[in-house]
Amino acid sequence: MKNKIPKIVLQNTSLGYQKSGKDLTILNNLNFTFYGSELIGVVGLNGVGKSTLLKSIAGLLPILNGQIELDGIEVTNNHVHELVKKVSIVLTEKFGGFNLTVYDVVSAGMTPYTNAFNQLNQKQIEMVDIAIKACGLQMFKHHLVDELSDGYFQRMVIAKSLAQQTPIMLLDEPSAFLDYASKHELFILLKNLAEVQEKCILISSHDLDLLLKYCHKLLIVSCDAVELIDAAIAKSNTAFMNIAKGFI
Amino acid sequence: MKFSIGIKFFIILTLFSIGICFSLIYGGSENLNSSDLSSHFIFYQIRLPKTITAILAGACLAVSGLILQIVFRNPLAGPYVLGISSGASLTVALAVMAGSSISFLSTGLFGKSYIVFASVLGSLLMTILILFISNRVKSNVILLLIGLMFSQICGAFQTVLEYFAEPNSLKNFVLWTMGSMSNNTQNDLPLFITLSVICLLAVLLFIKPLNTFLLGENYAHNLGINIKKSRFWLILLSSALTGIITAFCGPIAFVGIAVPILSRMIFESSKQQIHFASCILIGPILLLLADAFAHSLFKQIALPINMITTLMGAPLVIYLMFKNKQG
Repeated sequence: MKNKIPKIVLQNTSLGYQKSGKDLTILNNLNFTFYGSELIGVVGLNGVGKSTLLKSIAGLLPILNGQIELDGIEVTNNHVHELVKKVSIVLTEKFGGFNLTVYDVVSAGMTPYTNAFNQLNQKQIEMVDIAIKACGLQMFKHHLVDELSDGYFQRMVIAKSLAQQTPIMLLDEPSAFLDYASKHELFILLKNLAEVQEKCILISSHDLDLLLKYCHKLLIVSCDAVELIDAAIAKSNTAFMNIAKGFI
Repeated sequence: MKFSIGIKFFIILTLFSIGICFSLIYGGSENLNSSDLSSHFIFYQIRLPKTITAILAGACLAVSGLILQIVFRNPLAGPYVLGISSGASLTVALAVMAGSSISFLSTGLFGKSYIVFASVLGSLLMTILILFISNRVKSNVILLLIGLMFSQICGAFQTVLEYFAEPNSLKNFVLWTMGSMSNNTQNDLPLFITLSVICLLAVLLFIKPLNTFLLGENYAHNLGINIKKSRFWLILLSSALTGIITAFCGPIAFVGIAVPILSRMIFESSKQQIHFASCILIGPILLLLADAFAHSLFKQIALPINMITTLMGAPLVIYLMFKNKQG
């Protein structure tokens, strides 16, 4: 791979939560650089801090120490308007009601680019349609969010993230509710996006075999250390094999 | 039966105009006669102020409810649930009881702006209190419960005030709590119209946050919405709208909660710009209708408007809760 551009840079970063004025550090002193054209799998046991990492990069949690840069812009509340054009996140949380349809949610991805009344221009409407198509949601375009199965809800928020047109995408366990074939389709789509559109995509998942098959790199998060390795050599990595516990 | 948005708006606009005409011509016990001087007086001094009051009160309360339902992502939220109306009621009670012993406070334009000030202050204080707590409480449901508790506390203090009040000021206050569109005279209108129109127009600046809040706070943040700032301004606007209307018309029940729900049923849309426009029309229709009922049910006697709005609104809300669980 030629002249790769650094997309996400973590410098001496400590991440976690703030509770009643006190810092609860979960991940300590991280130093990593993630580049464009990379699909990176985030691996780790439950509760080890995968979601914390992704949410912090998206600016949803405070950075306790050090800093994070996205495409050269520091993650702080002062740069929100530039940052939301750089990074989109797919979370595990649900929402619904208020007559929200699939189309409404996916076109909400265009919010950073629209006027005060959320009106889309012709080009933006086409981009929303492309995102809907890429996630196989054409049939459900005008369905209510509340009527979707968990799997299609997941596809919808991924489509929203695609519509946001960001060079960095973060996905927190997006494959959890998908059926077997859809999981593969999702990973193929993401790998394709990374390679063709030079996006930097971080995906956390417990589907280790899929991560091994499709990701370029793996970020292995465990209690005592976080390491970034090539997916090809994962099976010779002790931390990875500890997570797999010999089942792989 | 699928109507386009345009046709739905046309129907609502027609009902809106019919409501206004009906209220202007039949909205009282007297029949108007165009050549009569007293009819002229009644039209300009009573009917017209009353109709304008009903239009603005309906619009403001509906928009206030719309904002609260979205900010708290609870389709059954309203100015009552968060204790904002109760806060306004309590300060107005204080103002009325205190004002009755000071003569210049109880009469004239000064008396009116004094009540407005007390009411807006009450709803703002309540809102600031709720905001202060909302920064510490993550769950919107718990926030709603806290709002309910606050309204109970306000109600208790209000009862104490009423218990020790002089008979005269007590009657004034009790009449005020029943709600009325007829308290506003021509002299009150400029202040009332200016305040409520400014607040309504200001809401238009926050259409984007309102639309994005529907996806939850984390997604809204990731779409470039400053959550704390927009939430602060939206709650402030909502409570100002409630405070102004409460001052001029008393605490009007159920319009704030019922109209946004009706609007969502009619338009089946998640676009808040549509709901903003339709709330501004449906709110007045409901209040004009309630006022017409209040005046025409019994000859010579006008019923308290809160009785009518409660009888119209409460069954509607219960029905809606059964019919569509997500509102």
